[in-house]
Amino acid sequence: MNASGIKLGLGLYTTLFIVFLYGPLVVLAILSFQTGPEGGPQFPIIEWSTYWYKHLFGLTPPSRIAPLPIEQALVRSLALAVMTMIVSTVLGVTAAQAFRKKFRGSGVVFYLIVLGMMVPGVLVGLGMALVANTLGVDRHWWGTAFVLHVVYTFPFAFLVMLAIFNRFDPSVEEAAWSLGVTPARTFRKITFPLIFPGVLSAMLFAFTLSYDEFSRTLFASGRDLTLPLAIYGTFSVEVHPNVFAFGVLTTLFSFALLGTYAVLMGLSVRRAKRMAIQEEA
Amino acid sequence: MSAVLQLKNVHKAFAGVPALAGVDAALMDNSYVSLLGPSGSGKTTLLRVIAGFEQPDGGEILFAGRRIDGVPPHERGIGFVFQNFALFPHLSVAQNIAFGLENRAVAPVTDAKAVTARVRDMIGLVGLTGLEDRAVTQISGGQKQRVALARTLVTEPSMVLLDEPLGALDANLRTRMRGELRTIRERCGVTFLHVTGSETEALAMGDTVLVLDRGRIAQATDAGTLYSRPASADVARFLNCYNIFSGAVSGNVFESPVGRLALGGVRQASGRPAYAIRYDRVAIRPRDAAAAGDEVRIEASFVASEYSGAAINSFFTLDDGRVFEVETHLSHAAPEAFEEKARYALVWKREDALVFV
Repeated sequence: MNASGIKLGLGLYTTLFIVFLYGPLVVLAILSFQTGPEGGPQFPIIEWSTYWYKHLFGLTPPSRIAPLPIEQALVRSLALAVMTMIVSTVLGVTAAQAFRKKFRGSGVVFYLIVLGMMVPGVLVGLGMALVANTLGVDRHWWGTAFVLHVVYTFPFAFLVMLAIFNRFDPSVEEAAWSLGVTPARTFRKITFPLIFPGVLSAMLFAFTLSYDEFSRTLFASGRDLTLPLAIYGTFSVEVHPNVFAFGVLTTLFSFALLGTYAVLMGLSVRRAKRMAIQEEA
Repeated sequence: MSAVLQLKNVHKAFAGVPALAGVDAALMDNSYVSLLGPSGSGKTTLLRVIAGFEQPDGGEILFAGRRIDGVPPHERGIGFVFQNFALFPHLSVAQNIAFGLENRAVAPVTDAKAVTARVRDMIGLVGLTGLEDRAVTQISGGQKQRVALARTLVTEPSMVLLDEPLGALDANLRTRMRGELRTIRERCGVTFLHVTGSETEALAMGDTVLVLDRGRIAQATDAGTLYSRPASADVARFLNCYNIFSGAVSGNVFESPVGRLALGGVRQASGRPAYAIRYDRVAIRPRDAAAAGDEVRIEASFVASEYSGAAINSFFTLDDGRVFEVETHLSHAAPEAFEEKARYALVWKREDALVFV
């Protein structure tokens, strides 16, 4: 095949890939502009409107369609994601730091940590519910579910940091020690700034994984629902385009999060680049 | 002068393979010591053990009269300059140099003005004035070398370990930095322990040269003595300027694979008998020229020669296939043209040879 043929093939492949990746999102976004309250979650669009967005914020006259019961759930999910992100990232960084030196049983500990992301979520959630019942512990999103979120996201943070430390040149730390700086201060002033891009990635992983965790939370969160559970709950009654409008808004929120990450990453990568040049020299 | 660092029977093995097998040495205060060893001789390990990055399996290390094996690196007060410089990539030149002063556990300098003043002095000393605010990635290799040195010297250690500090620089710069390292050291009055695999560097830099061979100090002496009187055939081999024959002494001759070599001059006890003759002590003569009474003569065929400006090195093969090298200084004679594969007489004075018994 000639070069332009390959190009055409690859172009087609990429287009299909993007269509499959973003098609659902685009459909959802279009339908969120359906007219309301009489318009349903299907084509054709009767009339373009922002009715469902107004409906989300309670700006429409009362109708037979109840507002989405998600306000509390959103707050809970965000709080849970932030808590999980902090704890998992701290655990991930410290565990990866410990793994820089081989210790007795390091192989077993490694697989025990990674197991947290391998086991099926529904089973772990169910297991947690049973254990909590047996022990007489109340199930809450900030308790039992939080523990499961950490168990699930910690391995991701850990693996990211392990990869970062793998490429880390330990001689800069030794240089700091030989200047009379304690290992603790060396970590804070030298190691941490240099691994910061990795820490950011670990945080992003932990946050997003926790934010839309469903299966583990389903059994372990108790009475108060998190956002994915609350949205699923509305589907069981009747689906209105207000869910789509909400989906668009959360997607925008995710983009904002990614944007922040990209900016912070850009700043760190510039630093990492300097480091790479130094290694080459 | 007193010893600033003493090593007593220091041992270290990695997974059962010995890297240091009983190192004994004493380093004088305010001196430049070079540590020469082939790769794999344990020289980097020795440096890392002294710095505290590795723990010795046995033996004692005394620094300024205090036993330091077991003391963590940041409490030793020994500076370290890495081969790859290991500068802090997220800090500027001035921040790199100020880092130790501001952050060390013992007597940190908290007064910003005092830090600035000392950093400025040090930047002047190593010749980096004008580059204070540069990122350490925007400067050349030689400048990085100076930052690494300045960062260490500003904390005023009484000893600095340098791990092949010139290895990452190009040849031109290497020669220039040699002189500068010596000057800077003299001005600061610290002891430098400079590790290198290059015999010319070790000889040029060190007031004292330590030769490390298979985890032991094979010889510790000044450069002149080392070059003219290596303590063993192995040390002579590292110096890269001796033709060495193995064999045995019997009476007044040395039985070598290329024949009997008449003995004169000094014999040194080294444990393994060997006969060594310096490249530049050998004369190349036509095959039919006779040798004088005090000379040793062997025959060999010419292979090739290598011109290096001030000297020319000619390579011959001996009858047992071994290569024999002769260095002729061109200040004494114009380069001669030798015929390839032709046989020549190689002649030297008996007393110029080193004999190890």
